Amino acid sequence: MGRRKKIVEQCERLMDKPENIRNIAIAAHVDHGKTTLTDNLLAGAGMISDDTAGQQLAMDTEEDEQERGITIDAANVSMTHEYEDTNHLINLIDTPGHVDFGGDVTRAMRAVDGALVVVDAVEGAMPQTETVLRQALREGVKPALFINKVDRLISELQEGPEEMQKRLLSVISDVNDLIAGMTEEMDDVDDWTVSVEEGTVGFGSALYKWGVSMPSMQRTGMDFGDIMEMERADKRQELHEKTPLSNVVLDMVCEHFPNPVKAQPMRIPRIWRGDDESELAETMRLVDEDGEVVLMVTDIGIDPHAGEIAAGRVFSGTLEKGQELYVSGTAGKNRVQSVGIYMGGEREEVEHVPAGNIAAVTGLKDAIAGSTVSSVEMTPFESIDHISEPVITKSIEAKNMDDLPKLIETLRQVSKEDPTIQIEINEDTGEHLISGQGELHLEVQTQRIERNQGIPVNTGEPIVVFREAIQQNSGEVEGISPNRHNRFYLEIEPLADDIVESIKHGNISMDMPELERREALQEAGMDKDTSQDVETIHRTNVLVDETKGIQHLNETMELVVEGMQEALDDGPLAAEPVEGALIRLHDARLHEDTIHRGPAQVIPAVRNAVHNALVKGKVRLKEPMQDVRIDVPNEHMGAASGEIQGRRGRVDDMYQEGDLMVVEGEAPVEEMIGFSSDIRSATEGRASWNTENSGFQFMADNLQREQIMEIRERKGMKLELYEQVDYI
Amino acid sequence: MLTFIGLGLYDERSITVEGRDALRDADRAYVEFYTSKLLGATVDDLERHHDVDIEVLERADVEQHPERVLDAAETESVAFCTAGDTMIATTHTDLRLRAHDRGIDTRVVHGVTAETAAASLTGLQNYRFGKATTLPFEYAHAGSDVPNSVLDTIQENRDRGLHTLVFLDIKVGDDTAGADVRDGDEYMTASHAADRLATHHPDRVAVVVARAGSPDPLVHADTLTNLAEADFGDPLHLLVVPGDCHLLEADALEALADAPRDKLDVV
Repeated sequence: MGRRKKIVEQCERLMDKPENIRNIAIAAHVDHGKTTLTDNLLAGAGMISDDTAGQQLAMDTEEDEQERGITIDAANVSMTHEYEDTNHLINLIDTPGHVDFGGDVTRAMRAVDGALVVVDAVEGAMPQTETVLRQALREGVKPALFINKVDRLISELQEGPEEMQKRLLSVISDVNDLIAGMTEEMDDVDDWTVSVEEGTVGFGSALYKWGVSMPSMQRTGMDFGDIMEMERADKRQELHEKTPLSNVVLDMVCEHFPNPVKAQPMRIPRIWRGDDESELAETMRLVDEDGEVVLMVTDIGIDPHAGEIAAGRVFSGTLEKGQELYVSGTAGKNRVQSVGIYMGGEREEVEHVPAGNIAAVTGLKDAIAGSTVSSVEMTPFESIDHISEPVITKSIEAKNMDDLPKLIETLRQVSKEDPTIQIEINEDTGEHLISGQGELHLEVQTQRIERNQGIPVNTGEPIVVFREAIQQNSGEVEGISPNRHNRFYLEIEPLADDIVESIKHGNISMDMPELERREALQEAGMDKDTSQDVETIHRTNVLVDETKGIQHLNETMELVVEGMQEALDDGPLAAEPVEGALIRLHDARLHEDTIHRGPAQVIPAVRNAVHNALVKGKVRLKEPMQDVRIDVPNEHMGAASGEIQGRRGRVDDMYQEGDLMVVEGEAPVEEMIGFSSDIRSATEGRASWNTENSGFQFMADNLQREQIMEIRERKGMKLELYEQVDYI
Repeated sequence: MLTFIGLGLYDERSITVEGRDALRDADRAYVEFYTSKLLGATVDDLERHHDVDIEVLERADVEQHPERVLDAAETESVAFCTAGDTMIATTHTDLRLRAHDRGIDTRVVHGVTAETAAASLTGLQNYRFGKATTLPFEYAHAGSDVPNSVLDTIQENRDRGLHTLVFLDIKVGDDTAGADVRDGDEYMTASHAADRLATHHPDRVAVVVARAGSPDPLVHADTLTNLAEADFGDPLHLLVVPGDCHLLEADALEALADAPRDKLDVV
């Protein structure tokens, strides 16, 4: 029997014992060493050879991942580990650290109960460290800390014991400050800060495969002094054999991360808004393998042979081949063709996967990342909360006309796999739009289309996505249908920032039960009457129906909503999406007969009314911004801050950290296109930097008109604005 | 001068003599066919028969930019024609009011309309009809089911013992104003309409009137379920849902439309 086969069998035996299962994610800032660490764990579990761990990057299964040296997709793997004489099943997800792929991290967190946060000892906690921590804690996932690259402190920076201790403690305290701040208002969490004494912090070198923690020191008798000595003497192999990283980390995982039985009672109320008295709630809390099947899909992958594979967490029941399951948001059922678990990049089919595990399922053709799949109809899980909105768009077309249908299918597939990608298909021109989190995000996705699907494509220059928003009340506006038999009276005011934020975070949505939505709206600051009349929420805009007893309006409301959506999707200035509008429908006059108040009448009437109201509310263009952090040697600091300032940016802070200077600031995304090559040449390649999308801001008035016209021209729109747009 | 002329029900000969004279005397003639259509005649037929040039207007030309028609009517004698009557199922009161506002004289020449043909052909009394309604295509109505207002209208009429005239939706290919336009013209058939209404009232009797005003009109009564199975030939179709029937009405439906008498509510 092959070794691999043996591990699969072990895993299968352990799957039925939820007490012995740990579902974990490894997350970190880019390049802090998650994937190398994961390789160590796999080697420790005997799944790849010890020699290649660190170089193999087993989790980076895509060619481009190995080339770029970064993880792009979250990858799943199962392994076993013996701790305190009990064999444990560890289901692990490695996640990308680059900011452009944040959506993958958030989805991975939904599937796990513990997050091992990896921090580079030299660089310390970085912006993405904060982001992944927030993503984990928001999902109710317990953190532990591994400080990586300690070998560099010893061998490269030649730090003495005191210096090193000071540095490590400051990393721990930075991370703890973040955790304490984020969990402050979480009533269901006691104290999730990490500590060396308790064994929730590990240190080591993923590259040289050794590790250490308080419990491991007690077990192996190897203290920090011994380790420093051996590392200095270049006895790294010996060090690895005496105190292997995988044991240190996997012991920590088994000891400190909750098993599903412990985790699910706390996590279910955080991520599911269904009736907590119901039987379904009970079986999910109990991780009952005999309950109804509930699977939360967190990832969709493609297997060249098996087709689409849905991966996710089984919260209740047991998944088996042949089951007919509901997929949230779609009608009808899908039939499970096979179930399996992940071993490295590969899927192993098994007979069944019970509650508490991470499963790989084929046959769920309607599922997307984020779907709830179940054997009874149920309230879906909270939509997976990833707040990054797409900020960059590229046009993409097939070089070969014959590839067109295949390209459309591939694009749809891409957005199914990665919901942070948005696709706009234009069958008329054949020029489609793909929108995502950043330049790299789109570059990777388009290269994959070329390489994996073999479709040669032409892509356009990256284009920034804008928003349109008002700054004041519009007053009442009348919208008249073309046949003049139908009239709508509405008013638009700016929606409070808190409400917009809550909608973006998914804390308020039309998926919620009505009562809860009302409460959430009131909590975010909306008055009670308004919250009761909310008809629909579209993007970050709210339509409130304040009319009373108008005959036939209920029948026409869908068309009103449609007209409103059209108006908000293509704003009046440059056909960019509108955000933060509170639309109050005051009154309506309708024709008696449906035929005279059909789509051709109602949609244009409402669309025009909304646009006129937006213009009266002095609608302006907003552009996406990025927080920028540059770490750079002192002599290049001027050049680095110049790169921010020269891009309509603002430098907020400059300070020393270690031997480097840190420059922090903010700049428009549009100006940041091409930043990576410019900063490299400006600092002779000595800078490392990080950017993070920070939302949309109003552009200065003197830039508005020019930008609007530029967009209109690109979109082939008329170059004249509404007459009343005289304020910019 | 703006003269509204009803072209009647079927072809170039369905117009009244008065309408014909008014059309021939006009300096300029417009017609709109997006609300209804003459199935027995093309625009060419009309032009040839009346010896005038006729311009076909689209919805936007009438509803959003009627200035052209009105400007012409300030100085010339303009005819504005529709199938049926210009003011009944189609509602051009708006255009007339706009003309009135500009001080343009207007005149209405009546046409024969489906509203009266329904009573004439079925034998149901004009006095006993309630509110009329239109059944829209599924895609034109935001929902997939029959709109409540249609069902409500039929029910309210029946509660009062009255008949309901149900107009059936048409979509004309050049109607660019619609959000969901199909290629070519599309006419809802009576069997399609019966099929949709039958999901709510399978055993209710209704009367199909097909090709009213043409040389081969058809009138047929049966339960909605049975009507849904039948084929009534070329358009245009309409449907009447009888309320309580007077004896003579029941006799007429039985004799002229093969109605199953036992299923009628005879008073």
